[in-house]
Amino acid sequence: MTIRSSTDSTGFESQWIEHGYGTRFQGFQNLMRIRIRDILIVSSLYDLYLFEEDGRLYELIRNEYQGLNLSHSPELTRVSSGHEAIALAKKENRFDLIITTLHIEDMHALAFAHLVRESGLSVPIVLLSFDNRELQYLLLHHDTSIFERIFIWQGDFRIIIAMIKSLEDRINVENDTRIAGVQVIIVIEDNVRYYSSFLPLIYTEMLKQSQRLISEGINLSHKFLRMRARPKILLCGTYEEAWEHYRTYEEYILGIISDVDFKKGGLQNPRAGIEFAEAVKADHPDIPILLQSHLPENEQDARRIGASFVLKDSATLLNELHQFMFQYFSFGDFVFRTPEGVEVGRATNLRTLAEQLRVVPDESIRYHAERNHFSNWLKARTEFWLAHQLRPRKVSDFASIHDLRLDLIDSINAYLMVRQRGIITDFRKDTFDPGSSFARIGGGSLGGKARGLGFVNTLINNYHVRDRFPGIQIYVPAAVVLGTDVFDQFVDENALRHFAINCPDDKEITRRFLEAEKFPEDVLGELAAFLHTVHTPLAVRSSSLLEDSQYHPFAGVYETYMIPNNHHNPLVRLNDLLESIKRVYASTFYRSAKDYIKVTSYRLEEEKMAVIIQKMVGSAHAFRFYPDFAGVAKSHNFYPIAPQTSADGIVAVALGLGKTVVDGGNTVRFCPKYPSDAVHFSLNDLLDNSQKEFYALRLDDHAVPSFETHDMKIERFDLVVAEQDGTLGSVASTYSQENQVIYDGVARNGTRIVTFAPILKNKLLPLPQILELLLDMGQWGMGTPVEIEFAVNASVGGDRLKEFGLLQMRPLVLSREIEELSFDRIDPERILCLSHRVLGNGIIEDVYDIVVVDYHAFDRLRSPEVAHEVSMFNAQLVSEGRPYLLIGVGRWGTLDPWLGIPVTWDQIAGARTIIETGFKDLPVTPSQGSHFFQNLTSFMIGYFTVNMQRDDNSLDWDWLLSQTPLEQKSLTRLLRFPAPLTIKMNGHRNMGVILKPEM
Amino acid sequence: MSQYVKDLMAEVKTKNPGEPEFHQAVQEVAESVAIVLDRHPEYRTARILERILEPERVIMFRVPWVDDQGKVHINRGYRIEMNSAIGPYKGGLRFHPSVNLSILKFLAFEQVFKNSLTSLPMGGGKGGSDFDPKGKSDLKVMRFCQAFMSELYRHIGADTDVPAGDIGVGGREIGYLFGQYKKLKNEFTGVLTGKGLNWGGSLIRPEATGYGAVYFAAEMLGTKGQTLEGKLCLVSGSGNVAQYTVEKIIQLGGKVVTLSDSNGYIYDEQGINTEKLAYVMDLKNVRRGRIEEYAQKYKSAVYTAIDPKADHNPIWDHKAHCAFPSATQNEINAKDAQNLLRNGIYVVSEGANMPTTIDGVKIFLESRILYGPGKAANAGGVSVSGLEMSQNSMRLPWTREEVDHRLQLIMRNIHNTCVEMAERFGTPGNYVNGANIGGFLKVADAMMDQGVV
Repeated sequence: MTIRSSTDSTGFESQWIEHGYGTRFQGFQNLMRIRIRDILIVSSLYDLYLFEEDGRLYELIRNEYQGLNLSHSPELTRVSSGHEAIALAKKENRFDLIITTLHIEDMHALAFAHLVRESGLSVPIVLLSFDNRELQYLLLHHDTSIFERIFIWQGDFRIIIAMIKSLEDRINVENDTRIAGVQVIIVIEDNVRYYSSFLPLIYTEMLKQSQRLISEGINLSHKFLRMRARPKILLCGTYEEAWEHYRTYEEYILGIISDVDFKKGGLQNPRAGIEFAEAVKADHPDIPILLQSHLPENEQDARRIGASFVLKDSATLLNELHQFMFQYFSFGDFVFRTPEGVEVGRATNLRTLAEQLRVVPDESIRYHAERNHFSNWLKARTEFWLAHQLRPRKVSDFASIHDLRLDLIDSINAYLMVRQRGIITDFRKDTFDPGSSFARIGGGSLGGKARGLGFVNTLINNYHVRDRFPGIQIYVPAAVVLGTDVFDQFVDENALRHFAINCPDDKEITRRFLEAEKFPEDVLGELAAFLHTVHTPLAVRSSSLLEDSQYHPFAGVYETYMIPNNHHNPLVRLNDLLESIKRVYASTFYRSAKDYIKVTSYRLEEEKMAVIIQKMVGSAHAFRFYPDFAGVAKSHNFYPIAPQTSADGIVAVALGLGKTVVDGGNTVRFCPKYPSDAVHFSLNDLLDNSQKEFYALRLDDHAVPSFETHDMKIERFDLVVAEQDGTLGSVASTYSQENQVIYDGVARNGTRIVTFAPILKNKLLPLPQILELLLDMGQWGMGTPVEIEFAVNASVGGDRLKEFGLLQMRPLVLSREIEELSFDRIDPERILCLSHRVLGNGIIEDVYDIVVVDYHAFDRLRSPEVAHEVSMFNAQLVSEGRPYLLIGVGRWGTLDPWLGIPVTWDQIAGARTIIETGFKDLPVTPSQGSHFFQNLTSFMIGYFTVNMQRDDNSLDWDWLLSQTPLEQKSLTRLLRFPAPLTIKMNGHRNMGVILKPEM
Repeated sequence: MSQYVKDLMAEVKTKNPGEPEFHQAVQEVAESVAIVLDRHPEYRTARILERILEPERVIMFRVPWVDDQGKVHINRGYRIEMNSAIGPYKGGLRFHPSVNLSILKFLAFEQVFKNSLTSLPMGGGKGGSDFDPKGKSDLKVMRFCQAFMSELYRHIGADTDVPAGDIGVGGREIGYLFGQYKKLKNEFTGVLTGKGLNWGGSLIRPEATGYGAVYFAAEMLGTKGQTLEGKLCLVSGSGNVAQYTVEKIIQLGGKVVTLSDSNGYIYDEQGINTEKLAYVMDLKNVRRGRIEEYAQKYKSAVYTAIDPKADHNPIWDHKAHCAFPSATQNEINAKDAQNLLRNGIYVVSEGANMPTTIDGVKIFLESRILYGPGKAANAGGVSVSGLEMSQNSMRLPWTREEVDHRLQLIMRNIHNTCVEMAERFGTPGNYVNGANIGGFLKVADAMMDQGVV
């Protein structure tokens, strides 16, 4: 666990008291008296890592406590089993909060909670679910009142702070309103998913206020005090609960955010929110209220009673919420207006407020002063002292507006006396080691990918893996990560968000992002410093909030860009880097990402992008830069061939950059436990389906002035080039036509084939051993099967260590299997499809549509056309909200259009079940295109592989093609039935059957 | 079907139940040689056909082996020693899960006539195992091969039975098998063919089938007093057979204008010369690219994608003199055959296995063009196996030129046998009949000579 640096605060206190503000703030120390100091987390090691290592969260919790009382800094204690948790809690009796995830080692979370209570512990227990589906099931079938609160993980770690804060707020609200007049926001929402997503937002907004103060130079301690005095949020689930809070804190209410449909008088009332708002508005018309609903018709009622309204399904829900808070809770900029509402000035902080006060017209100052806008704004920013100073001053106390103006400016300037810069970032030019450092620039989250990478970096260092194998070092390549705040700042300052959310044209988005001029200055400086230390090629990769979250891997949805970073002019290098960052930002809003998000339970607005800027693993060969090879290793294999088992894992490797592997190109697959077992099927299969080209980064090519959405600096080269470069020898074999034999290595003449035999069979590198170790370690660390991306640079020359670079580690999603299904007594006439190679489990009975590739009309030459047609059907069905069965030939999602249909995931994302079957002229080996399968399993999509050569497999093409299509394109057709198909899958036996609709 | 064949088939089915592949093969041969038996009752008296279809010896054996993890596996090994009337048993070993007695008997039976037709002293046989080399490490494959040979070695020998490769048995497996044989017998003899070049293998193996098909075509043209010089040729495919077909056609003065792969074909009106052929070889053998790239490289060529829905293959719809189907089974159907005739083709020499459908063959035969069926025209591959045996026995490897020259002589012999037999049995110019009867008669006569054994 690393403790982030904080500014020494001792010097500050004396100055502060000197200036006479001490007493006021000392009083504030009595706020938030009851704190959550010890948290017991019952979860896997990986989850602990999320809490500790990621982003601002840990920093904030920790620093907030540190600022006041070092002896009581918060402790996160993690255990992985329920029994262990109870034993520990009883023994140590110090925990203020237990957070449990839904799946813990030895029991169900619900059973755990009951056991906690039975053992006499009264510690509040909060349930954190990772999966909405599972949670819904739980809520529907069980009484969950034993949990203090339930939250759902949506990829934003700030939810943890919301958990703690909402609990603390509830406990402290009475005391704090009484002592300091701290304000209260009432939030009424009974839907777990909704409050899990906007509670963090509200808290984040408030914490941002404090951060702004830091940038104004006020010391950390001040910040912590301030945070104690921030508004309290009271989350309620029913009318009565909310009403009681309202009555109790009536005079401190800053605002109300409410659902419309919730329980009133014990019954679900579809108008409860409107009634509540009406009642409040009758007493206090000035209390801002925001109503949220699924139903647009409620807007009229909301408007009628003077409340704001936002549609829950709106793609811009979070944005509107954000706007509301900015406007009504004075969270945002101070906007100077004339009484007519014309904007005449804007202040983002106290300094600019003072500046603006000098120039805005009198009428504006009068307008705001009469309405206490200044003190309200300051209060919301927890500038209580100043707010209290200004509040009693009436406009009439001053001889003129000019005097009032001067008084305001003086007050603020006096308050701003102490200035001390204290931006907290981890990147420091002087300490950054271009060999292996991993640092951040800017605030916010690191995103999923960077989180995984940071975690694996920790594992490698803690368990001394780096030097475990002689001759090769295992490491995470040096990187800096731009936090998501940089993304927010960039997007907001350039006013791109609204445009990007609504623009359907990827190239246009790219153009606007590249042309956007404002980039945070401080970040720019850090990047320049980073480039000063690193002169080798860089990969600029996305690391979004949602990416690689445990249940929704946004794998491969966003773009990665690589840059040579070798220009003699540092400005050119900086410019290249900046351009790549902007491209990654732009890819957040690409069509594929939008389509992908649509089928998740997330909204595009929730997505934020961190960026990893990482040294590439590899060597320069002439004008090419690439690793000797790269690959993806999974600790679970969906298609094991005996003697392998699923748990032995599977690795796919290819010469050159990992793009070949990630995109599902021709690779060598092996099981790390049985590295010398060939996985190819025959000599011809090997000749046809082994790697023929490889990817490398061109070093001789600078800025490509283009708005292309893909990386233009990556190119394909023939194997001949690799042989010239000297990189082929360690991964290739040679086929002799004369002798019809494949010989390991490239010593003999003949056709070169990438087999990895020198490594796998002749142990040139301990690659299988390294991967076995890392997969084991990752699986243990994350508490779930994992997927690892890696690259190896063996072309180091001399006695230098070869390099094994870990580029990514993420949880590999496997569907949970609940029950066994039997296939007895099925009328053979009704069987549409039967397969013994099925991924998935359960019964699906809500599919009425089939998108089918015409088996007879299809030809492999036209597979890109099929991909296009399928994507059109997909778009149509997704927008209609109709899940469908997709039936095709060849591998789905292959990179090579000769082997199957080259769709990307988003083009078939609406499919509920997919059938993959052979071509007429070629049996296909099942696809396991790494990113593709990750998505399949995470959306719990059924996947049937039908081998028509086998008797126990069947697919009734005749029936399919005899149905009258609802719509027909040249190679595909859409069938729709009045009754649903029945799709049954037995995940234990890998069997599945699909029945025709009953008609 | 004659009564004789009917009776024979009934007996075959009773004696060999559950062997449908074998029944099918016997029936085809019986029908094709019925005319011989009708004309020459001595063969019936000696019950030659009945004897030919009964294997001289069937060996089935246990192949137990232990894998790298210490697990014991048991496979079943086979060797069908079908007929040794004209030479040691000769035929491939097949390692594939589908291997069973019926399939091997069927293959061994056909092998007898194929080998006989080459005019080389080779009998017929086949063998193998239900072992699946797919997904196995080198070590596992080696252990299996050693276990397999540990039993087989006592049944084979350079003068007894000389197995070769087949599906699942390539150079690697032949190497392991040979090594184990040598160790057990302590002798280095030509007991297997398909050996590595520097330990007993023969040159011209990759070239043999393609060269052979061209030699056969040249011989057929010779019957009309013509040569390949200046002939316009269509070649399908772009693998080994097609590449060496093109090479030999160029050497003999012909002009090749097409090549194909499974996606489409190119038509190069200027012809594929030596330089372009070198490009194709690099493209297909080294870079393993698509033939489409040829048209990008050479502007004189037009690439056409093949539409599998179409009822014909457009490659066969160009003006030319000769066609060399060298790609795959059933690549010429009735419509294609008609297209070929319409375009003036009068020589078809089959380098591929059964490239013409039954209807297509019928059209060729009725039109009386020079049609060299695969069983004759692509015998070059088998022949070089025979030449490997010869070189092993002589303990003297031949140069490329020598092997090539022998191959040419063999193809000439095959051709002459076909012509002679076709004529003798009343269907002059019908190479299909000629090949069927020629292959059979040579074995039958040898058996007659050697008495009832």
